Amino acid sequence: MERHTSADPACARFAPLIHERVDGALGAGPQPDLDAHLASCAACRELLADLDAIRWTASEIPDFTPRPEVWASLSQRLASDLAARPRHFWSGTRVALAMAATLVVAVTASVWLLRSPAQAPVPQASAGSQEGAAAGVIQSNDDVVKDVDEHLRIADEHYVKAIAGLEQVVKSGEGSLDPALAATLQKNLGVIDQAITESREAIKTQPNSQLAQTSLFEALRQKVALLEDTVALINVMRKGDQAGAAKILGGLSKS
Amino acid sequence: MAVTPSERTEANRLDRDIVQRCRRGEMGAFEELYKRFGSRLYTVAYRITGSAADAEDLVQDIFLQVYRRLDSYRGEAALGTWLHRLAVNACLDFVRSKQGRRQRVTETAEDLDALPAPAAGPWRADAALDRMDLERAVAQLPPSYRRAFMLHDVEGLEHHEIGEALGIAEGTSKSLLFKARARLRVVLRGRPGER
Repeated sequence: MERHTSADPACARFAPLIHERVDGALGAGPQPDLDAHLASCAACRELLADLDAIRWTASEIPDFTPRPEVWASLSQRLASDLAARPRHFWSGTRVALAMAATLVVAVTASVWLLRSPAQAPVPQASAGSQEGAAAGVIQSNDDVVKDVDEHLRIADEHYVKAIAGLEQVVKSGEGSLDPALAATLQKNLGVIDQAITESREAIKTQPNSQLAQTSLFEALRQKVALLEDTVALINVMRKGDQAGAAKILGGLSKS
Repeated sequence: MAVTPSERTEANRLDRDIVQRCRRGEMGAFEELYKRFGSRLYTVAYRITGSAADAEDLVQDIFLQVYRRLDSYRGEAALGTWLHRLAVNACLDFVRSKQGRRQRVTETAEDLDALPAPAAGPWRADAALDRMDLERAVAQLPPSYRRAFMLHDVEGLEHHEIGEALGIAEGTSKSLLFKARARLRVVLRGRPGER
């Protein structure tokens, strides 16, 4: 006969055991007593069912979405880490990666922010509303993404043109450099070229990878900087300006 | 919804694939890993620390740890499980390091005063519990109840871990959880008689 109510002292004694049972943490000792009580108490059976439902439904509470800046920052830290451990990533390009890790080009940082609209850390919506929201975001950012791609293409062209011009200048003045120094510069340029090639390959397979884009533009920037320094070095060497040459070489060794 | 064996097999294949590509050094693999698990790990960090700023720092630290420790992943557990465990440990380490500087969470008189009013639309005895209703009810819980509930019933932490995270005894964690559930039941059912 079911004679208990939720205020019954017997029920109050069994309540913690019911919670433990819901958690799968009830020992074998109190199990028979609880079973017997449940068999005769509708209120406690209801409590058990409710707690089960709460526990089950709680597991479906959705996650929060971190702000896009978190990945932007993480990708920079990751790049630094990768540079410090080149055997794992792009082995053979450690110099270029180390350089790539030290600075992140503003254009790619802004690309990330443009690609990923700012979001507060709010719970993810249910499947239906999420699809709707996602569709809205994609549509409203479509033009922005196109703009970004166009800017990336223009920036890439700019770098390639600048590099071609500088390479020509360097080639014509290479004779002014000490052969050992010229060989070192050439070797460094080769390492950067390798990084550029691998970055382009990475972008081909992962077109939206901010890390690959960052690495490409940083490698391009480094190449421009190295060529500019080389041109400046050629100029001061031609003038016999040893102090100027030492200054440029000092700057090169720090980069 | 239950995961079917074929879905689990596919998930395992994806796990192995992404881990292999990360180990090989494919640039996009980590980005993919972040896209798949970033929200999950951020949420774990947010729920344990109770701070969005700390959670943002922590999720970055966790992913860097993942990169450094990926060689130790043997595939015995699902990748998500392995990452979750790693994240929980990192968050508990973080909380422990802050413990001395922070006020411990206790069950205070204020908590009890803040007990919520019953929900407008009660959960009927013959109906399934709606997730949104549960979320709304959880939001009304006093902070100490809410955190104990979220960490145990949502994140799956053990009471000793919750004790570490909140700076309370294991028994207190259990007590807070039971009271939180009982309070939720009262709010959802819209009737007195908390147990």
